[in-house]
Amino acid sequence: MSLIPGLGIVRGMALTLRRFFQPKVTHLYPEDPADISPKFRGRLQLLYDEHGTLKCETCFQCAQACPIECIDMGGVDTKGRYAVHWGASETYGERREESALRRAGRTVPDVAYEHWNAIDLGPVDAILHDADHDPGRLLEILEATQAAYGYLPVAALKRISFGTGAWYAMVYGTASYYDHLRFEPPAASSSGATPTGRGRAEADYLAGLDLVTGSGSKRPAGRAN
Amino acid sequence: MTRLLKTPAGWPRLLLARADATDPTDLDVAVKAGAFGGLKKVVRSLAPAAVVAEIRAAGLRGRGGAGFLTADKWQLAASTPADRRYVVANGYGADPAARTDPVLLELDPYAVIEGLAIAAWAIGAETAYIAVRATETEAIRRLEAALGAAEEAGFIGADVLASGHPISIELRRVQGAYMLGEETVLLKALEGKRGQPEQRPPYPAERGLFGRPTVVQNVQTLALAAWILREGAAAFRATGNRDAPGTILVHVRGAAGAGIAEVPLGTPLRAILGLVGAARSAPPPKALLVGGPSGGLLPADLLDTPYSFTDLRDAGAHVGSGSVVATAVDVDVVELAELLTRFCAAEACGKTIPCRIGTRRIEEIATRINAGTPRPTDAQLLTDLSADIVASALCDHERLATLPMSSVMRYFRPELDAKLQPVAQQTTDRQRVAVADGEPAH
Ligand SMILES: Cc1cc2nc3c(=O)[nH]c(=O)nc-3n(C[C@H](O)[C@H](O)[C@H](O)COP(=O)(O)O)c2cc1C
Ligand code: SF4
Ligand code: FES
Repeated sequence: MSLIPGLGIVRGMALTLRRFFQPKVTHLYPEDPADISPKFRGRLQLLYDEHGTLKCETCFQCAQACPIECIDMGGVDTKGRYAVHWGASETYGERREESALRRAGRTVPDVAYEHWNAIDLGPVDAILHDADHDPGRLLEILEATQAAYGYLPVAALKRISFGTGAWYAMVYGTASYYDHLRFEPPAASSSGATPTGRGRAEADYLAGLDLVTGSGSKRPAGRAN
Repeated sequence: MTRLLKTPAGWPRLLLARADATDPTDLDVAVKAGAFGGLKKVVRSLAPAAVVAEIRAAGLRGRGGAGFLTADKWQLAASTPADRRYVVANGYGADPAARTDPVLLELDPYAVIEGLAIAAWAIGAETAYIAVRATETEAIRRLEAALGAAEEAGFIGADVLASGHPISIELRRVQGAYMLGEETVLLKALEGKRGQPEQRPPYPAERGLFGRPTVVQNVQTLALAAWILREGAAAFRATGNRDAPGTILVHVRGAAGAGIAEVPLGTPLRAILGLVGAARSAPPPKALLVGGPSGGLLPADLLDTPYSFTDLRDAGAHVGSGSVVATAVDVDVVELAELLTRFCAAEACGKTIPCRIGTRRIEEIATRINAGTPRPTDAQLLTDLSADIVASALCDHERLATLPMSSVMRYFRPELDAKLQPVAQQTTDRQRVAVADGEPAH
């Protein structure tokens, strides 16, 4: 509050007058391209291929690379597994309802959400302690965790991220790369019955070699007709 | 266990010399048969530079597939300034159809341990790793026993042969992806990271494990290095061929059987196939798949090609995993190439565009050719795409993944053209209809 009456309005008018005579900053975009920082990458957008399928493979590589951790995702990766966000679930529109239920202490009737269930963190804490909380021994930690729980629950992955200081994206990205690490309990996992992705390709390759050396079938690709 | 094939009496046995031992982990028996003779000589009388010179004089090339000069790697690692250096024995055996490396580890673990110690001595490393596929339980069991016995006897450990130098060797079990065989990927796995290749150069010999100079060497290469230091470079030069002396383990498959054999480099493919004992009257195979899943398909008239790094590369195949497969006469090679390409695309790590998308596009082209729905431009597309992938690939996997289809283009063109043919007809028909409808033809 000013003591001299009218000073405020004089100041305001002074600003208006100054701006009035300053050069204008209207860009004739797109004829006249805007002057943007060379590091500007535009708006994040997922791409679709020519069949309309989402190209993103939920590999978390971009989330891992993003320096300010603004990228996150959820979806099905190339191994046919459900991959979870690595940020807070509340920040995602499609998850908001479940989150609300969960916060209200109600059960969430979504199997994909079982990944988030709380677990006894004792074993994973012991594993982290044994491995010196060293992110350089991540693979060893993940293998021991899987041996302890039978699979890699999200809560354990989060704990590993927290305990080693490695980003969740790093932990998840490593775990999802190796075929022998799994995110579902063995019984629920479909990989045992019909291998998908890499496991399937390997089985086909070995079977194909057996086929082509013998003089049996001449159709190694196993096409029906 | 995979069968060992009988080889002709004249063929040298450098890798499998001690393979007949009843218990390969018995250190006394192995030492009587020559094990650790090379290491003793090195520790007693050879400076690190002299070890590298001996390996160079022997002309040893890596048995992991690419045939890189081993002495160059050791030299580079030894001359790069660093506070610490590492040696890694690559015993992963990426190709599920070639068990040569695990079999060597099962039959003569001491040869690999000795080679590893010699390599560590030559570059000044104190820590070495042996990476083995976690599912090869027998090789792991024997290696553990051998490592224990060798340490007990003072061949490795805190004070190697009372020289004051420590060389500790750690066994690491890795599993979970085909790509783990590639050296930069293997190092990532040892660091506990996601297994994706790194740009080379800098080669691991300059900046490898934990950023330190690291020599990654196939287990056969290491066993041969031990042999060279024991028997001398001249004796090694007397085996194999001029450009690549020595022997290599090959996993052969044919109609009459399959097995592993030690083969002098430069042996004609025909002689290698003869090891599985195909009847003389049997028709020659239609194609030979040389190099594993990313190998090249060679026609029967190239049966006299010598099995060596350069000759195979010139013919459009490669040594690769050491797998040689003879196909039956009635095999559809285009379908075989599709199957191989699918395997390679599925195993590609996804790091780069040629890897993630290039290999998959080749697979798609192969699939539609075989499904009878090729596009008229597919032959050209295949040529261009393969060239682009070879030119822009990050690691060798993508480059090699183009081989099955491109070798079919090169040697089995009539068969491929037959599959491309009917469609040329279809397309013209369709175009004519389009013109009649008043639509512009293009
Ligand atoms: C896709 C791919 C798979 C490979 N798999 C193996 C393998 O299983 N074992 C191996 O020794 N080398 C493998 N290599 C070669 C290694 O990258 C590396 O060149 C080798 O271990 C070096 O040892 P050397 O110089 O003794 O051959 C592979 C390479 C590629 C591109
Ligand atoms: S998750 Fe992987 S595939 Fe998806 S946008 Fe990120 S980097 Fe690309
Ligand atoms: S970069 Fe992915 S397989 Fe080579």
